[in-house]
Amino acid sequence: MKTLAFASVLTSLMVATALTPVQAADMTHERALNAMKEPHNWLLHHGNYEGWRFSGLKQINTDNVKNLKVAFTVALGGFESGGRYKHGNLQATPIIEDGIMYVTDGWGSVYAIDVSGGKKGVIKWKFDPGTDRAWAGDVACCGVNNRGVALWKDKIISISLDGRLFSLNKATGEMIWERKVADPAIAETITLAPLVIRDIAITGSAGGEFGIRGWIDGTDLNTGKQVWRTYTIPGAGEPGNETWKDGKERWKHGGASVWETATYDPETDTFYQGIGNAGPDWDPEYRPGDNKWAASVLALSPSDGKIKWGYQYTPNDPYDYDEISEHQIINAKVNGQDRKLVVHAARNGFYYVLDRVNGSFIAGKQYVDQLNWTPGLDPKTGLPLNYNPNTDVQEYAPGSHSSRARPTSNRLCPSHYGGKNWEPGAYNPELQLLYIPSIEGCNTVDTVEQKDFVDQGGPIKPRERFTGGGGRPTERLYGSIKALDPVTGETKVRTKLEYPNYAGALATAGNLVFLGHYDGTFSAYDAKSLQELWTFNAGSGINAPAVSYAVNGKQYIAVLVGSRQPLNVWQNAPELKNTSTASMLYVFEQ
Amino acid sequence: MTRRMLSFAVAFVAAVGAAAPLARAETALSPEEARTIEFGKEIYKVKANCQFCHKWDASGDTGYGGIALSLRKTALTREQFIEVIKCGRPMTGMPYHDQYAYTDKRCFGMTREDLGKNMPLLGESLSAREIDAVVKYLYARAVGRGEATYEDCVDFWGKDTRQCEPMKK
Repeated sequence: MKTLAFASVLTSLMVATALTPVQAADMTHERALNAMKEPHNWLLHHGNYEGWRFSGLKQINTDNVKNLKVAFTVALGGFESGGRYKHGNLQATPIIEDGIMYVTDGWGSVYAIDVSGGKKGVIKWKFDPGTDRAWAGDVACCGVNNRGVALWKDKIISISLDGRLFSLNKATGEMIWERKVADPAIAETITLAPLVIRDIAITGSAGGEFGIRGWIDGTDLNTGKQVWRTYTIPGAGEPGNETWKDGKERWKHGGASVWETATYDPETDTFYQGIGNAGPDWDPEYRPGDNKWAASVLALSPSDGKIKWGYQYTPNDPYDYDEISEHQIINAKVNGQDRKLVVHAARNGFYYVLDRVNGSFIAGKQYVDQLNWTPGLDPKTGLPLNYNPNTDVQEYAPGSHSSRARPTSNRLCPSHYGGKNWEPGAYNPELQLLYIPSIEGCNTVDTVEQKDFVDQGGPIKPRERFTGGGGRPTERLYGSIKALDPVTGETKVRTKLEYPNYAGALATAGNLVFLGHYDGTFSAYDAKSLQELWTFNAGSGINAPAVSYAVNGKQYIAVLVGSRQPLNVWQNAPELKNTSTASMLYVFEQ
Repeated sequence: MTRRMLSFAVAFVAAVGAAAPLARAETALSPEEARTIEFGKEIYKVKANCQFCHKWDASGDTGYGGIALSLRKTALTREQFIEVIKCGRPMTGMPYHDQYAYTDKRCFGMTREDLGKNMPLLGESLSAREIDAVVKYLYARAVGRGEATYEDCVDFWGKDTRQCEPMKK
């Protein structure tokens, strides 16, 4: 009998082992370079290093997407209040490797969810970094956010809002090491998903509304130690520092934050990091000059953080046209010539095509419905047509921005939220169409003369807001999804959305584009016509981009649901006012 | 701007500009009063999220909440304070918190139709009891009290956070 009992235990153990997915292979640089060759997985934040957010899976396609239904949901946590926020928010892109999904909540907890059975998600382990919520949340400009994890060897690399980077055992969630990268004592926070290139994790600091000096930072994942740090605002004597002309070293508090994951070009071993607004946001008279590299893109070397080139979109930005969002890498023919491109749908309302080898401007075109701050871009340089190289404080279109003399602007289009904010676009390489989810509409900005920081003789203490004014939602904003020709920026197809889009897009080889919305609707669009083919309402706002993966040969679509409703959306959309937040993973199947 | 709104704006500026009343000593509170103040603090902090724009110490702020005035320096009477919370402030970023405001003439004698594009923004709906508590909290801990202290900070955030460390003398 004893033997029988033992045999039965053994059998159940064996069954359990058979049901447990095979331990995933180590994540190597080789695998990262070839992420698209593992379409059943979603290995990198943007799907591939090039920032395409494209899944090669096509079981779910335009013909059958109408049958899509919920496979299972998983309740997550992290909606506790903290600092200035009523609750945490879900913005992460799930990472999926061989049937295990890794997601984060806004306070930095990592969940490893076994989705291999296809019928339910089982949380294998959870790592809670124990974030000091008041301390970090009080200096987060825009919500309690965490955009996800990265894979490296047999580890999960994650971040927390209070500025720490973690290496976790992928199988168990046990912490191997943590490194304090950003310092909330000077209002630095981290919200982006780390970008891992070879053995280096690249992160950066948010805090552009709190007088930080932004940086990008490389951590050696073998040791957990810093290998380099590059400030996004050049220091005294460095090229670009001369574009801060106040003579009072205000570049030391000039913003230029970093809060979304960069793209990487293996051909030139260069990563492309979008850089945030200059600070104070709405008092450009405080910071005369072009304010490099705020509102820019920087091309950098991942091994030493050296800047190869920079390109600035909005010099002396008076709007808060922060350009942290992704820069897709695309090779295409331009005027019959093969060109290596890096492209960007900017918060300022223009789409830019740059040569990614040298940063030269190739083309630019308005992609938002309404844009009134400049009549257009200079076809040679891409600078705003009303940019005046002979003045230190730019005067773009009259009334489009505020100033000390005229503290309230007229209508500003696009609103200072964008254009396109952080929410990533997607690229379908088969159709050669780039999908841009946007925030459409206009608002008003106000200027208040900015006072100095204490270290520069003023009253502003570290961790206090340093914005030189504010923005006001003066009209109802709406959204759109547009398919652009990535070479010319020409909008091929557009669909108007009821709400500004703060979720981001997924494109699939099934010729679909998936998009979540603030009213909880999750939709699939035909990739050619952008006609809505399927929708499901999850009952709470969606603020995160979807991904696709497969287990046992079956395709799934996954998205995180649960969102803070930002003031600029619900104050003019009263029907959303009583929406409750949630913290859920939704997985769909056919 | 209509004449009525202009007179509202003038009256408001005059009220804000007037001398600040003396701080009330927070002594001999009944248990009920003490509970109400704590209830009001929670509304200020989380439910109505007043702190997002006005800052935790109610000293006012700039940024994504727009330009929010200092409540520590306000000269509004309690009645005016309650009215602004209920009705918001037309033409500014201050939202209204009485969900039925402007459905009739309870706020400044105006309806949504009268205000048109100058309709204040929508805020979290608060009951009369909640508005009363948040005003009691602000008068007990912020209005007319000068710059916030370390003790004020600990009172607001608690002791389980580094939040007040920079204020330690």
